[in-house]
Amino acid sequence: MLTVHLPASLQRDAGAASLAVTEPVGTIAELVEVLERRVPGFRSLFDDALLNFAVNDELVLHRVRDRPLADGDVVELIPTISGG
Amino acid sequence: MPIRDRVARLLAELPDAPQYPTQGATAFIDLERREVRQAYTPVSVVRALLAGRGANMFYLYRLLDESLAPLDPGVPLIFGSGVLTGIVPSAARGNATSWSPESGVLMDCNAGDYFPSFTKMNGYDHLVLYGRAPRWTLLHVKDGRIAFRDAAPYVGLDNLDLRERIEADFGGAWTRDLAMASITRAGERLVLTSAIMAGPKACYARGGPGAKMGALRLKAILVQGQTHDFETAQPYKGYNREIAQKLLATSVVKHALKTTGTPFLYKPSRLLGAMGTKNHQETTWTDALDASNIDPYRPGMAGCFRCPVNCRPLNDLHGDEADRYGRGDGPEYVTLGKFGPNVGIDRIESVIRLNNICNDLGLDTASTGSAIAWAMELFQRGIITARDTGGLELVWGDAALVERLIFMLSRREGFGDVLADGARAVEKGHYPPGALRYRMAVKGLMQSDPHDARILKAFALGLAVSTRGMDHLRNRVTLEINARINDDPAFKQRLYGGAVSAAPTSYEGKERAVRVCENVFGVGDAVGMCRFTTQLFNSPSLPGLDQFAAQIANVTGLAFEPAALDRVGLNIMGVERLINRRLGVGRQDDTLPERWFEEPITVGAYAGEKIDRAEFDAMLSRFYALSSLTEEGVPQDAWRRELEAALEGRA
Ligand code: SF4
Repeated sequence: MLTVHLPASLQRDAGAASLAVTEPVGTIAELVEVLERRVPGFRSLFDDALLNFAVNDELVLHRVRDRPLADGDVVELIPTISGG
Repeated sequence: MPIRDRVARLLAELPDAPQYPTQGATAFIDLERREVRQAYTPVSVVRALLAGRGANMFYLYRLLDESLAPLDPGVPLIFGSGVLTGIVPSAARGNATSWSPESGVLMDCNAGDYFPSFTKMNGYDHLVLYGRAPRWTLLHVKDGRIAFRDAAPYVGLDNLDLRERIEADFGGAWTRDLAMASITRAGERLVLTSAIMAGPKACYARGGPGAKMGALRLKAILVQGQTHDFETAQPYKGYNREIAQKLLATSVVKHALKTTGTPFLYKPSRLLGAMGTKNHQETTWTDALDASNIDPYRPGMAGCFRCPVNCRPLNDLHGDEADRYGRGDGPEYVTLGKFGPNVGIDRIESVIRLNNICNDLGLDTASTGSAIAWAMELFQRGIITARDTGGLELVWGDAALVERLIFMLSRREGFGDVLADGARAVEKGHYPPGALRYRMAVKGLMQSDPHDARILKAFALGLAVSTRGMDHLRNRVTLEINARINDDPAFKQRLYGGAVSAAPTSYEGKERAVRVCENVFGVGDAVGMCRFTTQLFNSPSLPGLDQFAAQIANVTGLAFEPAALDRVGLNIMGVERLINRRLGVGRQDDTLPERWFEEPITVGAYAGEKIDRAEFDAMLSRFYALSSLTEEGVPQDAWRRELEAALEGRA
């Protein structure tokens, strides 16, 4: 099982701040497919947003789709901006 | 040649009437003699540099006498609003430019709130200030006229009290018909980390502008007047609506800027292992400072003139009503980083309180926080001791101590006098030369943001080549932190006009991305657009050169192709480098703090990363070549002659 923490903008659509993903998921690409099915609004946010993935508190900056996931991983979706 | 002769020579060349619809005048204000003369920026200069930051560089280039010192009243302080400031949504910004007393190189600061827009509404694009006022002075700009008033009643007031007193004395209301650029006691005392306040939090910061204004004995510039629409070359409001829609439809605006503001970035930097901690000895810190922890203390958001984004978080600590620092404006990500991890503080309430204090005391939180962190590391290493600090133990994480140091700095009291000299503490004889090894500065300017750039090489190059010193707001390739863009090489290539490596740690092609960002951001400053809402800083889909070109044509009637605007961005950087060259800056100054070359990151997925000297040097050379700069980092001969011709009225 994976735990997926959602950004505030998706939590209402998902009805929760976090999801437990029990489907077999081996990579972030496969996780994205699951999230598209389970969270209304995920696709439009994902297509447009500067969403990054953190796996077990490590931010993934490239080759994100192929990033392997294992049972027990905690994945977080984080919109990223710069600042001043 | 004395400043008055320089001004007279320049005035003789300048047109005395507007050169295009909406152009405001340039007021040359002699504070010593209490005289104002005005003229307009020539079209040839506008074609090369636009207004705002761009034309500010024209005025500085022409009026600078580098044989003086930065705080000499013969060195002008120049305010400039952008071509579209006050006219286009989110174009609320202006720049303040001079020779920096903090860094010793170019000073160029950008601020929003209402001052730049209201100045333009009063018919002024630029204010060129010089001469030391015989007594503390307040400039009062109203109905297009500039009056000199006695500022004696306001001397010694910090930001909160000053704003209250001015509102009571002059009538009107902030954000409706009053705006001001002013200094606090810190500026009066020439604190090198002091800012010029442009609102409750908004400020012209970086490089010691507060000290520069204080040296002219100018307490404030108060601008009064009703807002109004401009007479433009063509209708522009329809396109304004498109720009506003574009802003509001951008996900980063919808999901982060509008709701939380910039503290959002703390978490990604922390998770990346790139959060400057304890003066960058470490690079990650507690999740207790994640933006979500600010939520209970954020009663709402505020914004700048006619900006639909409203990205500025307000705060309320829900404490004692009488505590003047229990509520305020901010913090931004920079302040969160500088007064959180960088000084070892882990309580969000402490950071918010320190933010509110800095806003009142008129301090640049980046320079002030960095100066304190530097002192703390020197103390930790025994390079300075309690004998140097007047008995204070500079211990990481002591919020009460940091609060005390900030007050001491703003008044130049005790060890505060050392901190008030910011990055120049070695030069001023306060610290031994060995202290420079731990100074997180480039070109004499402490780092603006808390991000540790040993991992992302594009960030590192940007900090090294920024013309005002170590600052992320001049050219930060922020989208390097976006995995989806990194993983789409075709899109990334289109964005930057050539190949840029997907790997954040690679040096390949990063010069290209920095070049593109520096051009777009330079143009953004010259039109007055906020950096947060300029294309490439936070998103690829925000307004950029295409939208600026279209709206410049509507507003001014001046046609620019987007490619010509791109050239303007390059020109601005080129003139800034010509100015810096006169101030002794060369290739050796386009570098990074020693620590980043020598000490690797020790945590996270990128543990082991540091800056490789040879790779960095090669990247710098590629950046110079791509930017038409010589190996010394100044414009190549043909382009330099072209720039000089434009600057000297021979174009
Ligand atoms: S985006 Fe924020 S800082 Fe920028 S102009 Fe708008 S309100 Fe001001």
